[in-house]
Amino acid sequence: MCGSSVLINREMKEISFKNDVLPLKDKLFRLALRITSNREEAEDIVQDTLIKLWNQRDEWSAIQNMETYSMTVCRNLSLDTINKRERQNISLDETAHDQPDISRTQDEALIRQQQMDSIQAIIQQLPEKQRTIILLRDIEEKSYQEIADIMGINLSDVKVNLFRARQTVKTKINKS
Amino acid sequence: MNYQYIEQLLERYWDCQTTLEEEQILRSFFKQEDVPNHLMQYAPFFALEAAEKCEKLGEDFDKRILAMTETENKTVEAKQVKLTTRLAPFFKAAAVVAVLLTISNIAERALQNNSASSTMVGVTDTYTKKEDITAKIKIIDHTQSEAMAKADSLKQAPAINKEDMMLE
Repeated sequence: MCGSSVLINREMKEISFKNDVLPLKDKLFRLALRITSNREEAEDIVQDTLIKLWNQRDEWSAIQNMETYSMTVCRNLSLDTINKRERQNISLDETAHDQPDISRTQDEALIRQQQMDSIQAIIQQLPEKQRTIILLRDIEEKSYQEIADIMGINLSDVKVNLFRARQTVKTKINKS
Repeated sequence: MNYQYIEQLLERYWDCQTTLEEEQILRSFFKQEDVPNHLMQYAPFFALEAAEKCEKLGEDFDKRILAMTETENKTVEAKQVKLTTRLAPFFKAAAVVAVLLTISNIAERALQNNSASSTMVGVTDTYTKKEDITAKIKIIDHTQSEAMAKADSLKQAPAINKEDMMLE
C-alpha cells in the first residue's frame, strides 16, 4: 500500500486518497477561485480542504458522495476566507484566465479576451450564492440535487437563485 | 439557416427549464465559428465552461499534498512501533521464566534417576559362600523327590466308580 494512500473498504469499494480524492483538486480550485476571486487564497483553500479530508479518513465510510462532500468543505472554507477579509472590488487581473487561443489574428484574440473578461466581471458581481450556483451548474455541470447537497440548501432555493443569476447575466449582456 | 430551435432553447435556458443535455447543446452551438449576429453576444458566456476548465493546479501541488499526507502516515506507523517496543520486555521475561522452568524440570528428573541407580548398586547377594549354596541345592533336590513320589502314589490308586458315587 502506497504511503499516502488509504484503502477504505466501503460496501466492497475502496477509496484511495491519491486516486479518488486528490484528482478533485481542480474542481475545488475553480470553486474556491469563484468565491474568493484570489488565486493564492484559492490554492490555500484547496490544500486545507484536502488535508482536512485526509484527517477525516477514518470517517470516509460514512460519506455518501466524496465529491459532493469535498466541495461542501471547500465552499465553507472559502466563505470563511471571504468573511475574514474586507471585500474589495474585483480586479480583472486577478481573475484572468488562460484561454486556448482559437483566433487567427491578434486582434480577434484580444477581442475575445475582453469579452470573456466582461462576462467574468458580470458573474463576479453576483451574490456569492448565485455565482456559486452558476459555476456548479454551467461549469461543473451538476444536477440541481447535487447543487443543493453541496450548498446545503433545498431544490427550490437552487432554482430560484439560478433563475435570478441567469436573468441578471442575460440583462447585462444585452445592455453591453 | 433556421435557428428557431436554438432560440427556443435559449429562452428556456434563461428560464432554467433546460436539462443538462440541452445546455450542452447550446454550448456546442456557440463554439462554432458561424454563429448568427443576433446571437453573437451570448457566445462568450457559453464559452465560459471551456475557459474555466483550463483553470488547473500544477503537479507540484500534488507532490506537496502527497508529501504532507505521507509525513502524517509515518507518524502513525511510528506510534505503532512504540507500542510493540513497550510490550517486548514482558515477552522477554516470560521467555526467560519458561527456560528456567524447563531447566529446573530437567535437573529434577536427572537427580531422581541418580538416586534410583545407587539403590540397585546397594543390593548384595545373600549367598556369598560356596558351602551355603551347595547346602541349599541339596534341600531343593530332597523336596523335589518327595513331591515326585507322592505324585506316583496318586497315579496307582483305583479309579473312582461313578455308579458308586450315584448310589451313595
